[in-house]
Amino acid sequence: MWRLNAVRHKAGRQGSDLEEFKFKRRAHEKELRRARKDSKLVSKILLLNDDENEEDGTMDTLASDQVLELFKMVCQGRDLVKKEADLRALRKALRSPSAHLVLIRQQSSIAILVTNLRGPSPQCRLEAVRCLHELSQSPHSEVDSWRLRQATPYLITFISGQSPKFTELCLYTLGNMCPDSENVRNILLAQGIIPALNSCIQIHRTNLAVVEAVGFTLSQLISANYVTGRIIPAVLASGLIPHLLSVLTPVLTPDSQFGLGPVIECAWCLHYLACSNVDNGALVAQGTLLRCTSLLVTLGGAVAKGSIEEGMELLIWPLLRCVGNLLLSGPLGALQPQLNDSRLLAALCAFPQAFLQTHPALARESVWVLNNLTSAAAADSSVFCSALFYLNLVPVLIQLLPFSHGINIMVLRVLGNIAHQGREYCLHLAQAGLLPALCATLKMADPEVVTFSLEVLGQLVASDPQLAEEFVRQSGLPVLEAIQYSNQETIRLRAKHLLEHHLPPHCTVDTSASP
Amino acid sequence: MLQPELIQLLTASDLVDLRIDAIPKLQVGFSPGSLFSSFTSQDREAKLTFTFIPHQILLNKDHEFFEDGDIHRHLYLQNLSTCPVYDSPTARQCEFRCHISGCSQVFSTVEEYEHHYNTLHRHMCSSCQRSLPSARLLDIHIQEWHDSLFSILAERQDMYQCLVEGCSLKFRTREQRKDHMIKIHQYPSDFMFDKAKRIKKINIANKNRQQKGTSMEVSMSGSEPEDVCQVLSDQPEEEEYMELNHSLEPGILDPAANPINTVELSTDHDTAPILSVTIQPTTNQQRQQHNRERHSYRVPRTVCFGQGSVQAFRGRGRRI
Repeated sequence: MWRLNAVRHKAGRQGSDLEEFKFKRRAHEKELRRARKDSKLVSKILLLNDDENEEDGTMDTLASDQVLELFKMVCQGRDLVKKEADLRALRKALRSPSAHLVLIRQQSSIAILVTNLRGPSPQCRLEAVRCLHELSQSPHSEVDSWRLRQATPYLITFISGQSPKFTELCLYTLGNMCPDSENVRNILLAQGIIPALNSCIQIHRTNLAVVEAVGFTLSQLISANYVTGRIIPAVLASGLIPHLLSVLTPVLTPDSQFGLGPVIECAWCLHYLACSNVDNGALVAQGTLLRCTSLLVTLGGAVAKGSIEEGMELLIWPLLRCVGNLLLSGPLGALQPQLNDSRLLAALCAFPQAFLQTHPALARESVWVLNNLTSAAAADSSVFCSALFYLNLVPVLIQLLPFSHGINIMVLRVLGNIAHQGREYCLHLAQAGLLPALCATLKMADPEVVTFSLEVLGQLVASDPQLAEEFVRQSGLPVLEAIQYSNQETIRLRAKHLLEHHLPPHCTVDTSASP
Repeated sequence: MLQPELIQLLTASDLVDLRIDAIPKLQVGFSPGSLFSSFTSQDREAKLTFTFIPHQILLNKDHEFFEDGDIHRHLYLQNLSTCPVYDSPTARQCEFRCHISGCSQVFSTVEEYEHHYNTLHRHMCSSCQRSLPSARLLDIHIQEWHDSLFSILAERQDMYQCLVEGCSLKFRTREQRKDHMIKIHQYPSDFMFDKAKRIKKINIANKNRQQKGTSMEVSMSGSEPEDVCQVLSDQPEEEEYMELNHSLEPGILDPAANPINTVELSTDHDTAPILSVTIQPTTNQQRQQHNRERHSYRVPRTVCFGQGSVQAFRGRGRRI
């Protein structure tokens, strides 16, 4: 299992140079953000092999002529046992990236590897695929997937095969090749990668390592650029969805070796499918919304009990996104039967509380889902808005108002959605303590926060004079009066309107001379 | 961490009815006359001003909203997410900003912001931009300084109110009032809470200097109204009443209030006391000198005080 092994390696090194590690991580994160902005965010995975665990750090980088020597021996060898040994040596040499360039520049190198890949010896096949795997995640741009394309028909064929370790390697190799170029993806599509993935996940459904590999490869295939045209419709039509969904069972006593890996990968696949918005109705019809919300409820329960596993946020994230986007797949009323568990709302309020300090973006996305539940047609959303009051979840949301990172804006949206439902809702919001909270948000630096606060406040005080009086009792008038001197005209106008039309009389000031 | 209610909700047993459609629905809709429900012209205006409409939000995978989550995922794929001490962005509390145009101070807590606001923008006289500690004192200030009727009436009757709340005595002159406050209410003799005149600015734009007839002038004519609380002497003076004595709330003074043009309040928002030297009365000429000197060692040239802001709640328009 690639990740866990890698983690063990890292843990060994960490004690001495934690600061260095953090520094590298921060620099790396910056790079990733830049890559994402350029739509070039791509990751490749390198499987560690069992025999390398012991040898880590003791490998010497071979000189290029040594690499070529090895390669020549592979080409010439007739004896299969010897050939296997040669291939193994070559594969180990390829652990160092400089050897990649040497090999790729050697004529017919890939063809030779492919010959061994499809040859009679299982051991040679294994070593050959390992060599190709090393090349597939090469940091050198010269070693791109186009150069490796001769291998793909065989790799695809083999993933429908029976041997798990070999299949896993083929899968990760293909997965590494997907993001590189649209041409490669088209070839893979034409060669039947999707039906192959479909049969693979069925054959190996009890082998979590392979399932995780399928998830990874599929996620690489569908998250690349320019895939909505052909690839995603093909995936939706392939029958893969039910298998992905069956992986999403609430596995919260996870296998200690594999953790949440397989579930995480499948969840990210579903997110990429849902946000592409190609045919979300089909996704919903196959039970995606139901399955994702059930799993979110289970995760909410785990969070409530305080047992937050490492990596749990990696699973919560794609589930939230999937649900959030699927809520737009049709009228909310039609989706209601799949959203009937009230614990979903509790979970959506629990995640922000639990992850506010570690992953504020996750808190924000959780509230985004609440927005999509509360902002549909009034008849459909009122049930969710009423439920938020009944379950006493509104104070939890109000507690999130001091926080930036887009969190308070999203919370204000939700509160605004609720206020727009009607007078009863406004009264309940006030009972939950919203007015004093708005007095604070009205003073915040971010003009967007102030604008949203004025919108919500406007709805409240206009819906019932009691609320206007309550606002005045909370010393809200001076705040609004101060706002009339804001730099932003939109803010001034809103404040002025409220003061003039909906709040008890006071002195209005002529603001026409404002700078 | 999580509220007990939330925990209870999420760990509820299967016997509890969890169905959302079993929850009683609140009544939807508004009574007539509320913000969005009627069609009077007032509400048409409301519809233009208030533009928020509830709407669902669809996000594609490349949206910036999803950035942090994507980064986290890729760090995981690249094996860098297994760091025991997390370096990821933590939620910040929002900052608070003073809304008064021209004063863009930012604060990290509500209390700081409110203190700043109460000190510098509340109860501000529109005519002379001075900030008074309370509504009552603002009223008195306006009456005594900016009401022409007041000086006429003061010739014939006792108009100068005692400044102490609850004491309804009035006096014929400022001096008498001062004596009363010192003797009866035990105010210190050097008590002051309001700046007498604006100091001649060293660091303002030239055009302000050219404006005559304002209280920026160094030489005081007799027609200039005296300060509300002129405890040092009877002469109208150009002094910096910076000292804030214990008997009054801190943070009262508006030092060297500039007219309109200066922008940023670059000092600490705690204004009490910024400059703590009591100024003795001097002659006009000396005063000019004095003030300049005092300014230069206490107030660096690059610091601007005062509001460029519009007047707050009372008063009759701005003095240019």
